[in-house]
Amino acid sequence: MNTPDFQPPPWPSAFNEAPKWAVERAEIFDPEMERIFAGPLWHLVGHRAELDAPGRFKTVQLGRVPLILIHGQDGVIRALHNACAHRGTMLEPRFRGKAREFECPFHRWAYSLEGTLTRCPGVKDFPGSFELTNHGLASARVEEFCGLLFASLHPDPPVLEAWLVEIATPLRAALGGDGRLKLLGYQKTIFETNWKIYIDDEGYHAPLLHRAFQILKWKGGAGSQVRSSQGHRVTETVMEGVADNLGLLKDPELMRYWGGEHPRNKLPHQKAGSLLVTPWPLGAVMNHLDIINCRFANPLSPTQTEVHYAYFAHQDDDPELVRHRVRQSSNLIGPSGFISLEDGAVFGRIQKALHAEPDRIRYLRGWQDSSENDPWHVSHNDEVTNTVWWETYRQTMGFERATS
Amino acid sequence: MSAVIPEEIRQAVDALQQRYLRALDGKDMRGWLECFDRDGSYFVTGADNDQDDLPIGLMFDDSYERLQDRVTYVTQVWPGAFEDYQTRHFLQTLDLQADADGLWKSLSNVTVFATDLRGRSQLFIAGTYHDRIRVTNGMARFCGRRVVLDTFATPGVVVYPL
Repeated sequence: MNTPDFQPPPWPSAFNEAPKWAVERAEIFDPEMERIFAGPLWHLVGHRAELDAPGRFKTVQLGRVPLILIHGQDGVIRALHNACAHRGTMLEPRFRGKAREFECPFHRWAYSLEGTLTRCPGVKDFPGSFELTNHGLASARVEEFCGLLFASLHPDPPVLEAWLVEIATPLRAALGGDGRLKLLGYQKTIFETNWKIYIDDEGYHAPLLHRAFQILKWKGGAGSQVRSSQGHRVTETVMEGVADNLGLLKDPELMRYWGGEHPRNKLPHQKAGSLLVTPWPLGAVMNHLDIINCRFANPLSPTQTEVHYAYFAHQDDDPELVRHRVRQSSNLIGPSGFISLEDGAVFGRIQKALHAEPDRIRYLRGWQDSSENDPWHVSHNDEVTNTVWWETYRQTMGFERATS
Repeated sequence: MSAVIPEEIRQAVDALQQRYLRALDGKDMRGWLECFDRDGSYFVTGADNDQDDLPIGLMFDDSYERLQDRVTYVTQVWPGAFEDYQTRHFLQTLDLQADADGLWKSLSNVTVFATDLRGRSQLFIAGTYHDRIRVTNGMARFCGRRVVLDTFATPGVVVYPL
């Protein structure tokens, strides 16, 4: 990737290193928008449970393109470009709502829920060749997996099933086995950090940064991280809470895993713990304990990342389990979460120090000096699986690795 | 505000609101906890969830034990892992009226400014307090405080209650 203004420095030759310039340089933001966010791949943008009836919509931004995810009268969920086909006025500024149509306020052009132009005031004075049917809203591709909505701005993305094939089993398990979910609500935040720092978390930090993970015995317990050939990651841990919560909590119910006969959010062999599935590049289904959580992230700028944490119950849950999921989701995860708040605090501190030496990030835990490294399969406490994320990024962006 | 509210009730409620804000801006989590009655609850949620009747919150303390655990989070679990900030709360009461069961119901606007460790201040959140208050022997405490954030996309992490 070369532009007239920016010649990328060489990528470090060591596989377990990533250059900070790839995080810090604003010049690569536009190429990222093109190659990754408008590139031939899929992006996790929602779940059907957020759009549970015809007319229900939410707006998202995929790369630079504002989209309306809309449940049509025909039951199909589409990703319509959120701009009138006439003068480009944004059609729907709200985050989420119900609509019967989308009407542009500027000249009152109106579109059906399926994106067809239905009304044009003054059309009798338009050129004779003008036809409503030729001026509907553009749309991005949308496909579903267990209700998860993946969108692509590229005209020719891979077949979604093939794109997800290596993570299909854990992803299905994380969604209660069938994806029949019910929306419980959102937490939303804007982190002052580059999107690649936000997604660069790993298992090494979990029991060290987060005191709550000590209660959950993350460190030393069983678990694994596996990267697929597309760069997706699956993290499994068999966490069982410390019986007395280290004496910290008066309400230990918050750290309890119910699982059992209820609709589960784990793989069959997992007794308890976490099942985290992160489709490359920026999607995440993060199920700690009984939480069913999808994270939809969007780079607002080179230094800002907006994250929507969406929480779900399963449609077969009894009211008691729904209440448990609501309590656990609200209090464990997100911008004020017992086990996650510290992440958000670290993101900003990395961003602020990107110009300090060393000029690269080194992934050490789980890496061997010998050539016998397999960062695609590591322990849940390691960090080197992130080198595969970076390698997928490097190749997608066309950056060249230095020869050692 | 209704004219039928007895003056001693109004004074007790004002004193509670002041104790609450003083505790938070003074990072006195014990003092914050003491603003709640034993059957007290505390919720923070976004206006987006509130509008759609979605139950998820940013903080969801539906029992006194949960309130006590929030004190533990802030004073014992998170210190050292986050960049501290100083809050300044500003409150304007819009309504106070009698509620069922001898309680009082109050609505207030709230804004919170946050100042970072380098002295830079910004508006942190804007929202409303929806309160149920019990006054016993001239002392008011919250039975329930529900904070609805207009700022439903928070600027990063929210460590302290609001």
